[in-house]
Amino acid sequence: MDIKEKLNILENLLDVEQDTLREKTELDQLTEWDSIASITTIAMFDSMFKKQLTPEEVKEFKTIKDITDKMG
Amino acid sequence: MEIKGIACAVPDHIVKNEEYNEVFGEENVRKFINMTGVETRYVALDEQCTSDLCHAAATRLLEKLGWEPSSVDALILITQTPDYAVPASACILQHRLGLSEDCIAFDVNLGCSAYVYGIWLAATMISTQDLNRVLLLVGDTSNYGINQNDSATAMIFGDGGSATALEKSAGKNIKYFLKTKGSGYKNIIVPAGHARSRSRKEVDGSEYELSMNGSAIFSFTITDVPRTVESFMSQYNIDMNEIDMYVFHQANRFILRHLAKKLNIPMEKVPLSIERYGNTSGESIPITLVDALGNEESSGPLKLFLCGFGIGLSWGGIYLEMDKSVCLPMIYTNDYYKEG
Repeated sequence: MDIKEKLNILENLLDVEQDTLREKTELDQLTEWDSIASITTIAMFDSMFKKQLTPEEVKEFKTIKDITDKMG
Repeated sequence: MEIKGIACAVPDHIVKNEEYNEVFGEENVRKFINMTGVETRYVALDEQCTSDLCHAAATRLLEKLGWEPSSVDALILITQTPDYAVPASACILQHRLGLSEDCIAFDVNLGCSAYVYGIWLAATMISTQDLNRVLLLVGDTSNYGINQNDSATAMIFGDGGSATALEKSAGKNIKYFLKTKGSGYKNIIVPAGHARSRSRKEVDGSEYELSMNGSAIFSFTITDVPRTVESFMSQYNIDMNEIDMYVFHQANRFILRHLAKKLNIPMEKVPLSIERYGNTSGESIPITLVDALGNEESSGPLKLFLCGFGIGLSWGGIYLEMDKSVCLPMIYTNDYYKEG
């Protein structure tokens, strides 16, 4: 999966317009990154990447790149 | 053991979550509803207690079954919102329902897993203590002690009480699993109000409110729950395709859809009450059963899997067969006792 596909997954997940997220985007700057997004992120990793993230791992995400890197 | 009847009562006071648009903003409320599924909830009056809702359900159920109060051998109340810190509300209900002094009555403190534990406990008492009839009451007024400005908890809970009549019967096929993971106790907690905070001079008011770590609960629900359900089905050689209904604790619609997908269960077999009743804590399984089957006119056997998971952390599942005609229609009531 290339980076564009990964970003598109996150754009869908966060309900933001396509092609608006960048790897360097800081999660703190995104109003869409909230407690609900934490849960949908855990669900997305579980269903799409068969990875079970802990809440602590989600808290450690600071940028979009941290998430896309975890996708592998 | 056989389930002879199930009745549920909710407050006759509906709250629409869109009423919170001004508190949390329209967009946030829309996102919350999309995620959790909760559009409306039934919320108890300030005067209305768990005992009142369970009493309404139990009274209707005893009448319908024609059970004399004196024939009930045990009353189990499972709640996390008892009427008083002490004594046990089960004792008050024994009195209010006119049950005999020979009736065993006690409270159990469990939430999301309450119904599964309750059925197991009642069935165990029937088989090992040679009891004939047990009344299992599971209810909560979860909106008590909620911070109305916390979007995670203010719009999620509905209140309700349930009564399930269980009777000795031979040959019914019931299987259980029950689990506990106390290391996660802080994930849903009301920190103050009981002994742990008694030695502290200053206790912040927010500590009397329910605190919930949504992502930790979600993570638990989509890892531990499906793993143990699959292991249970395999242990007892149960063909999951033959189960007619999977009734899950109504935690949140997103969680339930994810859980069903992981377990390869079609959503047509997963009844939901959360959209209209909210997360009704331990009574959510009987409320969902009554919502789905309360107006069922035909009879016939149903193979059910009931599964509760959450606060504790505590979870469990039951496989059982029940007639689809045992559920009574939902009761809506604003009745309450002023005391006792």
